[in-house]
Amino acid sequence: MSDAQLEVKQATMRFGGLKALSEFSLTVKRGDLLGLIGPNGAGKTTAFNVLTGVYAPTTGDVLVSGTRVNGRRPHEINRLGLARTFQNIRLFKELTALDNVKVAVLANTRPLFSRELMGRLRRGTGAQRAGAKVLGALDNYRDWWRAILGTGGFHQEEADVTARAGQLLEVMGLSARADELAKNLPYGDQRRLEIARALGTNPQVLLLDEPAAGMNTREKADLMVLIRALRDKFSLGILLIEHDMKLVMGICERITVLDHGETIAVGTPAEVRANPKVIEAYLGEAAHA
Amino acid sequence: MLRTTSTLVVAGAACALASWLFASSQFFALQASLVGVAVILAVSLNLINGITGQFSIGHGGFMGVGAYVGVVTSSLLTQFQLLPGAPQVVSDQLVLLIALATGGLAAGTMGFLVGLPSLRLKGDYLAIVTLGFGEIIRVAIQNTKEIASDELKLVQAQGIGAELAYRVTHLGRATGLSQIPQLTSFGMVWFWVFVVVMVTRRILGSPHGRALLAIREDEVAAEAMGVDTTGYKVRAFAVASFFAGVAGALFAHFQAIITPAQFDFVKSTEIVVFIVAGGLGSTSGAVVSAMALTLLPEVMRSLFGGFNVEQIRKPLFGLLLVVIMLTRPQGLFGTHELWDLGKRKKRPA
Ligand SMILES: Nc1ncnc2c1ncn2[C@@H]1O[C@H](COP(=O)(O)OP(=O)(O)OP(=O)(O)O)[C@@H](O)[C@H]1O
Ligand SMILES: [Mg+2]
Repeated sequence: MSDAQLEVKQATMRFGGLKALSEFSLTVKRGDLLGLIGPNGAGKTTAFNVLTGVYAPTTGDVLVSGTRVNGRRPHEINRLGLARTFQNIRLFKELTALDNVKVAVLANTRPLFSRELMGRLRRGTGAQRAGAKVLGALDNYRDWWRAILGTGGFHQEEADVTARAGQLLEVMGLSARADELAKNLPYGDQRRLEIARALGTNPQVLLLDEPAAGMNTREKADLMVLIRALRDKFSLGILLIEHDMKLVMGICERITVLDHGETIAVGTPAEVRANPKVIEAYLGEAAHA
Repeated sequence: MLRTTSTLVVAGAACALASWLFASSQFFALQASLVGVAVILAVSLNLINGITGQFSIGHGGFMGVGAYVGVVTSSLLTQFQLLPGAPQVVSDQLVLLIALATGGLAAGTMGFLVGLPSLRLKGDYLAIVTLGFGEIIRVAIQNTKEIASDELKLVQAQGIGAELAYRVTHLGRATGLSQIPQLTSFGMVWFWVFVVVMVTRRILGSPHGRALLAIREDEVAAEAMGVDTTGYKVRAFAVASFFAGVAGALFAHFQAIITPAQFDFVKSTEIVVFIVAGGLGSTSGAVVSAMALTLLPEVMRSLFGGFNVEQIRKPLFGLLLVVIMLTRPQGLFGTHELWDLGKRKKRPA
């Protein structure tokens, strides 16, 4: 297996007549910090939706940790190590900040069958995956019983989940907000909570869809520092969508530029900045605006 | 775990004691049983409609499944001596418990089968499917072919097999199933009230409860965070259907006769009114409102007199639903719980 945690090969996504994403290819390795940019409607969010299983690509392949995931459900893909945030914040509004993260940490409770076994089955053939589903269901029914009966192991796991979620809130600077309902948090905190929640699923690759949208310049700069720190702390691969060119150029090591679903440039910030196609795409947008 | 067992034992003992103390008052026992059944139905439906954010309008159908399966079970079992030498009360309650288990499991299995295809899809499919399910149950019972005993002999069924085949094909159709052994004491009903409330609370305080709430809040986000939304919805639906079945079996065993019409769309709507009035998502709201709304027609009758409780129930509930929607759409309790009253204020903001 290669060290690529996420590999996209020529993924195309059509909506009726519209080609929202065209032959999109990308590789994210552990420790990468990559950028995905492009004018409005370029297909960036669509790319995220294809990677995370919201849509199955019309053609092409998506591999997460070496497993082809085309057509798998988003929760399965998430379990393989790919997490995301949403451009239009999708927190669990009526739950507290802490509970938002705890929902995600759910995946880390001690399983009935070893994680290696389940992982191997989930990566395997159709029959093996069906087996994984049955074992997973057994595990889940056992879990319901343990919760209902309130066993000692259950209480221990709850405490672990709470502690883990608390740590992630702390990393994102949200400890003081733990007991507040997500809907009552200020905008910037909601964006950071989205990241904390995604981290809760213990990903290898994190997809951030405009995590700084709506923030002021200072907050944005702070967030970029934080994102880099997250990459180092959790040795994540990060793919970042961001409109602010300066920010992306400042933090990302490589950048992919989309326009009308087509990949028009790939390279280092300096290469991308100098690419005439990129300049044209962005000038075109400026002219329309 | 030990605490859970001892809590259940204490609750069971308290319910048994209450049953024994109030055994002389038939009116009280009947009302207490009716109220308790309503509470079980409301609390379990709230697990689907309030906590998981789905919309089922077929809870009455699952109650019906539990009622009929429960009665078939108990009428079979009463033919045999389960515990030779044991006092009548004990063997009766054992029979009832088995009837509740089969009724509940049958309804739970139905819930699983109905939920699996319809909960995969987003949108209002569940409402449509559960509505249809309730009607199918009613129509099926009304039209069961009553196979005569001698025909059964032809298919060479004998002993308990013949007995079972006979019972299953003689559900009384539209006129109703009578001669039901009167096994339910209101203490048993309230023991199950205790169980359903405890189970709901425990689920809510666990990863499963959080997953269900997350599904209610944002299904797409829940899926993206690794929550198998279909699996959780189906499991919640099966658990809720199980309790509807138990409620049905309890109900049947203090009725002289059960008819398919008792578990029809009107019944399902009534349970929806309970939880909407109490506040979708609030277990204590469901408890309080199911109690109040079950007793309300009775209270009105004793105050104003002169009418049939069943006659005023429908218009009263319809009116109530309209008033709630206009004045307090979040219901009596919103999503709050009685037992959380002190908590929220203590925490610093
Ligand atoms: N489910 C869908 N059905 C039909 N068209 C869609 C769908 N999702 C996205 N599109 C279209 O695909 C194109 C790309 O949209 P996308 O949201 O991926 O752009 P984006 O690069 O994220 O833009 P922005 O910077 O505004 O967020 C748009 O024209 C959009 O209307
Ligand atoms: Mg977008």
